Amino acid sequence: MSHVVPNLVNLDPRTAPPFPQAALPMLRNPQLRKNVGHAIDVIQSKRAKLVAEKTDWQELRSAAADIRMHVLENLGSYLEQFEANCTAAGGAVHWAADAEEARHIILDLLRQENASEVIKIKTMTSAEIQLNPFLEASGVRAYETDLAEIILQLGEGEPSHIVVPALHVNRSQVREIFARRMGLKDLSDDPQALTNAARHYLRQKFLTIPTAISGANFLCAETGSVSVVESEGNGRMCLTLPRAMITLAGIEKVVPRFQDLEVMLQLLARSATGERMNPYTSLWTGVTPGDGPQRFHVVLLDNGRSSMLAHPKQRQTLKCIRCAACMNACPVYRQTGGHAYGSVYPGPIGAILTPQLMQMHHAQSLPYASSLCGACYEVCPVKINIPEVLLELRAQVTDIERKTFSRFLDPMYLGLRIANLLFARAWTFHLAQWFGRIGLSLFTRKDGWIHSLPSMGGKWTQTRDLRGLPGQNFHEWWAARRKEAK
Amino acid sequence: MTAPADSRQRILDRIQAATQSVAKNPASLANAYAELPRGYVRHGSLSAEARLELMVKRLREYDAEVVETTPQELASTIASQLAASEKHTVVAPPGLPADWFAVGFNWKIDRSLTAAEIEQVEGVVTAAACGVADSGTIVLHHSSTEGRRVLTLLPDWHLCILRASQVVETLPEYFDRCSQPPALATYISGPSATADIEMTRIKGVHGPRFLHVILVHDEG
Repeated sequence: MSHVVPNLVNLDPRTAPPFPQAALPMLRNPQLRKNVGHAIDVIQSKRAKLVAEKTDWQELRSAAADIRMHVLENLGSYLEQFEANCTAAGGAVHWAADAEEARHIILDLLRQENASEVIKIKTMTSAEIQLNPFLEASGVRAYETDLAEIILQLGEGEPSHIVVPALHVNRSQVREIFARRMGLKDLSDDPQALTNAARHYLRQKFLTIPTAISGANFLCAETGSVSVVESEGNGRMCLTLPRAMITLAGIEKVVPRFQDLEVMLQLLARSATGERMNPYTSLWTGVTPGDGPQRFHVVLLDNGRSSMLAHPKQRQTLKCIRCAACMNACPVYRQTGGHAYGSVYPGPIGAILTPQLMQMHHAQSLPYASSLCGACYEVCPVKINIPEVLLELRAQVTDIERKTFSRFLDPMYLGLRIANLLFARAWTFHLAQWFGRIGLSLFTRKDGWIHSLPSMGGKWTQTRDLRGLPGQNFHEWWAARRKEAK
Repeated sequence: MTAPADSRQRILDRIQAATQSVAKNPASLANAYAELPRGYVRHGSLSAEARLELMVKRLREYDAEVVETTPQELASTIASQLAASEKHTVVAPPGLPADWFAVGFNWKIDRSLTAAEIEQVEGVVTAAACGVADSGTIVLHHSSTEGRRVLTLLPDWHLCILRASQVVETLPEYFDRCSQPPALATYISGPSATADIEMTRIKGVHGPRFLHVILVHDEG
C-alpha cells in the first residue's frame, strides 16, 4: 500500500515513456500529489520570504548569470586552469567523454583502493550516469548517505526532485521502509525518530568505509578547489573521514575565482531550500596532509554537455546551479511530480536539459511538458530563459519529425496538412464550411451548442462545449446586406 | 572505451569548436572577467553594535546557544559553558590559546587523534576564522586554532569562540577579508539539519547537534 509505485517509474530517458503517458499514473495518485504539493508549498513560501528581504536580489541574479555565461564562453580555459591547480594541490583530474567512460574510470579508481563498499554524498550527476547499478553489478556496494537518498535506496524508489529527492514520500511511507529494511519494528513515524534511525544506521558506515564518492556544486578554477553545499553533515563525513575521495562533476560546474562563491552561495541556498545559508558548505583543495582523504580524484564529465555549448540559445542551459527553484515554481511539475519526466532531472530545467543530454534522440516529449508560463525564468537565480530554450527545442523536435515517414500516420499532422490545403483557397474554404455546417448540425442541440462530439472531437467536448456553426458566415451576410441595399 | 588521455583532448576540442568566438589568451580572459558587472551589495550598512546584534539573532534563529563575554572573562565563560552543558571530556585543536583551557575539565589536544578517539569525546572547543552576520554563518579555515575538519564534525557538541572583530555583515565582506583563498573551509550556518521528511526541519542528522557560540567583545 505504502510503496511508492516503484515499478511504474523509469528515469532512463532512452526507454522512458513520453511525458503525457508517464504523467497519467502520477495524476491518478492523490497521495503522491498531496505529498508533492505540500513539500513545494513549504519551500516556496520560505523562498519567497527570504528573496523578498534581499534588496540586491536582481543584481545578484545578473552577476551570477554573467559569471556563469562568461565561464561557458571560456570553458576550455577555465577547465584547464582548474586541472592545473587541482593537480598542483595533490588531486588527480580525469576526463570522461560519456557516461560509460565515467563509470569505468570510477570503477578503476575504486579497484585501486580495493574498495568493496563506498559511501556517497548525494550527486544527481552519478544518477545521470547510472553509477549505483553499475557498481553493484561490478561487486561494489554503494551506500547513499543523504537522508532522502537513503529513503529511496532502501525503498527502491527513484528521485523525483533534485534538491529534495524523496519529497514524494511521506512520513508513514518512510517509516514503513526503515522499519522493514533496518529491522526496527517499533519505529514511529515521527520525523525526529526516523532521522535518528538514519543517523545510527550510517554512523558505523562513516567510520569504517574508507572510500567516498561525491558530486560538486562548484569547481574553482583559480585555486583548484571543490565546494559541496549540504544540510545534514553526511557530506562533511564523506569528505573528511575516508582515505580516498572521488568527485564526479559536470564540466560546466566551474567558476573562475574563489570570490565568485560570494555570489553563488547567496543565491543557491535561498533558491533551493529557502534558507539564508545552508547549514554546511565545504571547500577543499586537492589533498591536505593530516586532514581528510589523502588520495583525491576529480572526474570531469562531458556526456553531451559540450554539444550544448555550440548553440548560442541552448548554451544557457549549462548555467544551471541545480537549485530546483524552477521545479518548485512550475505548475506542471506541481501536478505530475518528478517521475513523469523520465529523467533524474525533472521539472523545467529537466525538460530542457534531458533532451539535450540525449542529443535530441530521446525525451522529445519533454519540451512540450510546459505551459510556457515563464515562472521558471522568473525564479531562476542564474536567469536561464527556460521558455526560450523550450521553444527552440520544440522547433528542433518538429524539424526531426518533419523528416520521418511515420508523420503520415499522425492524425494531428494529417489534420493540419488537410487544413492547410483547404484554407489556402477561397472556394475550398467555402466548400469545407458548407460540409462542416451540415456535419456539425447533426450534433448541434437546440440551444445552439455542441455538447458532445464522437471520436477525436470528443477530446474537446469532454471538458468544454462548442458553439455550433452559425447558419450564415460573414461572406454570405455581407453579400446579403449589399443585395438588400440595392 | 577510449584511453582517458584521448578523452581529455576530445572534450577540450569539442569545447573549443563550440566556443571559438571568445577570449583566447589569458590577458583577454582576465579583462573579460574584470568587466563582469557586479551591482550587488558588497558592504553592509549597520553600525558595529547592530551588526553583532544581527549575528547573535541569526545564530539563535538556528538554535545555536549564544553567550557574550569580554576577553578578560573568556576563560571563565568557557568553563561555565562546559559546566552548564555537563561536558567533562573535550577535545581542542593544538593551537588553542593556553588561557582558554578552563581548569577542571579533561582536555584532549588533537595531535593526530584517530576518528574513533574523537568520536569518544563529549565536545569540542575551537576558535573561528570569521562570522557573517547576514546569514549567521561561522567560517572555519581549519587553522591550528580551528582544528582539522574531523574535529568539529564527530563530537556532538561544538563550542565555538568568535571574536567581535571577526564578524562582518555581508558575505562579500568575508571574501574581501580573505587575502588569499583558503585551502580548506567550512561554513557553518546552524547545527546539522534536514527537511527531507515532509519538509519538517529536524536538528542533528550527522554533524554536531549542539552549537554553542561565545561572542568575545574584543573591540573598543
